[in-house]
Amino acid sequence: MRRVVITGMGAISALGHDAGSTWAAMREGRSGIGPFTNIPTDLLVIKIGAEVRGYDPAAHFDSKRLVFLDRVTQFALVAAREAVAQSGLNFKADGLGERTACIVGTGIGGENSHNEQSSRFYGDKNPRVHPLAIVRVMANAPACHVGMEFGLTGPSFAVVSACASANHAMAQAFEMVRSGKVDFAVTGGSEACVTVPTVKAWEAMRVTADDTCRPFCKQRRGMVLGEGAGIFVFEEYEHARKRGAAILAEFAGAGMSADAGDIVLPSVDGAAKALSGALADAQLAPEDVDYINAHGTGTPANDPTESKAIRRVFGAHADRLAVSSTKSMHGHALGAAGAIELVATIGALREGVIPPTANFIDPDPECDLDYVPNTAREKPVRAALSNSFAFGGLNCVVALKRT
Amino acid sequence: MSSVQDTIFDIIAKEAGIDRAKITPESTLKELQIQSLDAVQIIFEIEDHFKITLPDRDPNFDTESVQGLIDAVEKLVAEKAAAPSAQA
Repeated sequence: MRRVVITGMGAISALGHDAGSTWAAMREGRSGIGPFTNIPTDLLVIKIGAEVRGYDPAAHFDSKRLVFLDRVTQFALVAAREAVAQSGLNFKADGLGERTACIVGTGIGGENSHNEQSSRFYGDKNPRVHPLAIVRVMANAPACHVGMEFGLTGPSFAVVSACASANHAMAQAFEMVRSGKVDFAVTGGSEACVTVPTVKAWEAMRVTADDTCRPFCKQRRGMVLGEGAGIFVFEEYEHARKRGAAILAEFAGAGMSADAGDIVLPSVDGAAKALSGALADAQLAPEDVDYINAHGTGTPANDPTESKAIRRVFGAHADRLAVSSTKSMHGHALGAAGAIELVATIGALREGVIPPTANFIDPDPECDLDYVPNTAREKPVRAALSNSFAFGGLNCVVALKRT
Repeated sequence: MSSVQDTIFDIIAKEAGIDRAKITPESTLKELQIQSLDAVQIIFEIEDHFKITLPDRDPNFDTESVQGLIDAVEKLVAEKAAAPSAQA
């Protein structure tokens, strides 16, 4: 069977505008959560989030181009440029683009453009809607613009599965490279849905925290909304080896499942099925895994359920695993979450450093694993999993190995 | 029965899909077997009906009685009447 490796990585998040600064903050246990600065907060009860701060679109795109790009697409492009540059591949030369898939997940799509046009229409009673509203809002816009920029003419589409969108997108890209359908993929996830109505909608569900995100700890009060993107270049292993590419990690497998139960409450069975599916697909024994980047939203429901699922699949080895939720630092970036968290997982594999679960106060008896509280830890990592469990009960766990 | 209580009983019965006759002020949401997502919808309908904002952002749905909810709503409605300019 063909092997798939990651040869390029890019990100933009509340922790930084590239993958390097995002990972550096995770290593330091520095949280990017704070008061909202990009939206008015007078109508909000929850006034905190994990925004991408200090971001200037004009620094990345000229005005002629910018008119086509919602913030969610801008983030995908910023991350994709970094990833492709790192890979050293020129997709427009040698016909590489024809053999490349471009699959980018998003949970919501062009929410900022949607909100802006709705606000003009209903709020300002302005009957004229921008002619590019449709192409800015559509959820496949990030995949389209990444493909257009790099000349990727293989299979290209968006994957939508709420908080598991990025992992599902990357799992799909992985399958295509492994099967030989393509030799490369540019893939990941992007999200930019911090608008007043979206924050109000999260408030109404009463699952967001008003202080900060404290996954797995007794004082946790919910999730904190984030935004950003993570994009990666996947490459068939022999191709990468022959050209002497710097390989960041092997993408070894993915496990997917659906709870087919409750629309919001997670299930141990569904999560466990995705975890064991990822191990089997990657041909890993539970004992081979040293780190799990948890879904770890910090909600009352997710964290004990996820902990029980890990214990069920890993048995006695669960106590030797390091498990952390980096959402404590970059917030919950929904359809980009799994991609930003892959930066953490790759960092742990490459550097032997486990990023911590920040903002941790006291342990919760319902969550009984080693969550690496507050301070990063040195620990060799041979293989690692990264979990995403979405609303709707859609689960996707990905497995990475050192090469 | 106060009108607030009457309305709250109506909302609970409708949103949770339960027999209105089963609801008493002493009932807890847990006893009425109301799931968390139904409870969130009940809170939303109450807030929307009375144009108030319930202060507790994560009420203890398991132990709180319907009477607790009625008291909280009556208090907010009275406060709103005393200060009509204040937006909920």
